[in-house]
Amino acid sequence: MTGSAAAGTTRRTASGGEAAVRVTGLRKSFPGKGGRVEALRGVDLSVPAGQIYGFLGPNGAGKTTALRILTTLLRADAGEVVVAGLDVGSHPAAVRRRIGYVGQRGGADIEATGRENLVLQGRLYGMGRHETERRADELIERLDLAPFCERIARTYSGGQRRRLEVALGIVHRPDVLFLDEPTLGLDPQNRANLWDQLRRLRDAGTTVLLTTHYLDEADRLSDRVAIIDHGLVVAEGTPEELRGRYPAAVTITPRPGFADLAAVAALLGREPLVREARIDGETIRVDLDSATTGMAAIFALLRARGVEVQGVSLREPSLDDVFLHETGRSLRDAGAPPAMEAIAS
Amino acid sequence: MTFLLQTALLARRRILETLRQPIWVFMGMSVPLMYLALFAPLLKPLAGGPGFPGGSVLDVFVPGILALMAFGSGMGAGWIVIGELESGVIERLRVTPASRLALVLGTVLRDVLMFVVPAVLVLVVATPFGFHPHWAGLAILLGLLALLTAACSAGSAALGITLKQIGSLAAVVTGLQLPLTLLAGVLLPLSLGPGWLQGLAHVNPMYYAVEAARELASGTLASAAVAEGFAVMGAAALLAIWWSTHAYRRAMA
Repeated sequence: MTGSAAAGTTRRTASGGEAAVRVTGLRKSFPGKGGRVEALRGVDLSVPAGQIYGFLGPNGAGKTTALRILTTLLRADAGEVVVAGLDVGSHPAAVRRRIGYVGQRGGADIEATGRENLVLQGRLYGMGRHETERRADELIERLDLAPFCERIARTYSGGQRRRLEVALGIVHRPDVLFLDEPTLGLDPQNRANLWDQLRRLRDAGTTVLLTTHYLDEADRLSDRVAIIDHGLVVAEGTPEELRGRYPAAVTITPRPGFADLAAVAALLGREPLVREARIDGETIRVDLDSATTGMAAIFALLRARGVEVQGVSLREPSLDDVFLHETGRSLRDAGAPPAMEAIAS
Repeated sequence: MTFLLQTALLARRRILETLRQPIWVFMGMSVPLMYLALFAPLLKPLAGGPGFPGGSVLDVFVPGILALMAFGSGMGAGWIVIGELESGVIERLRVTPASRLALVLGTVLRDVLMFVVPAVLVLVVATPFGFHPHWAGLAILLGLLALLTAACSAGSAALGITLKQIGSLAAVVTGLQLPLTLLAGVLLPLSLGPGWLQGLAHVNPMYYAVEAARELASGTLASAAVAEGFAVMGAAALLAIWWSTHAYRRAMA
């Protein structure tokens, strides 16, 4: 699945096309204790049409605030936001017709059946009765809602409810689908299922924009990622590009007495793909620009020098390295102070 | 046209929701019937005395109970709205192109229906026990009190969206409930009370509804009190619906 997502990226990036979402100089602040809290401090973004685009950042980074502005739920203090070719500030009603939204809290009406939810949603978008019924059948089939869609949504499991909520977001075939932390609280199986659904939507031409604080969701699901922290985009690009900026770390443990560590480290340091090689206790640590080709070169060199190796470990760069480098903190530790959390939620 | 359709669809959703919780339908009906069965008999000795001219005490008591029902049917809206803020339903609906006024009116219409149906039942039950129905007056009375329900429903929903917490909403609503209903003379006519109490009642919009309701129930269709009642309730309903629509439209953090 990761492979096909990556292939999709190259295909789509190459084909170019206009932006589904364009954000320039977006600012938003909220009243808070001791003055206003700046949730967004000048965000610039361009989301290419037909891709899965991820907003990655810790809680309170401003992801949800940005999403709420893009979906007409909040008004920006400053900046320009164009969604599906329309200015959100001046044409919110027209934007609403072209977008779908699946909020963090879902929004299924738990006192109604799944089918009733779908039909009402379609009709509120101005679809005719028969058209809506047909579309509801289609979504029930596609998202596998059939076993429970005639039951009251109150009785659904978390995964069933989330599937209904995604269906609600796409009843009217929106150009752009927004999802706020769509896999929060889902078990791994439901999570994988939702990823597949979102990929299928993308492949059918829908632009999907989601927020997440999960590294793997940004990395493996998204075609492009904007890393957001403290109300600013700190890095943007395809996951491969972003990770590619940071070295892979290889730790080589030679068999004791089989090599002169200092000499081997010096040799490794002269390899073209090696950024740095240093001795760390009984091991040599090597920072590589490219893990795959770099590893091959290292092994060739070690064999040529007759160095017997006891163990090798490789740590490839992750988006967390990008976050760490840009913000000085690890994404795993970077929670927002409680005041910011309250605003974001 | 789209607006009317959206209002009808949203009202239908609310009505289905109510019918699926028959306990609330049952409670809505049982409270007024309990008043009639367990409280009205206490008023028997007052018949013919001050505040109860003419035949049956029920002729004075029933319109007050209807006003209390109209008030109660509307005030629940805020609780539902807060539940839907938490489950994200309101946020989802706000991203659709649905008219914000239709979102408000869907709930208002259900609440009005949930007032009118039990109210008719109360009238039917009270008649054999000495209530003298003037059906034309009662029809207009139900229309008047439907405006009271609408005002309470829209007002309660607006409060719910603004306060966002059940606790705060409950404090505000129960804080309002007693002064509004007592100062409207729902249980006993305020004409029994001292001048200062009657004077104070004039700042309470609900007072005008109850006064007009008693006139209408007695068969007086065209009077200053009836006109005042409609003017005050019409204005209250419009104001509350405007406030609620504004609350739905406004950006929520």
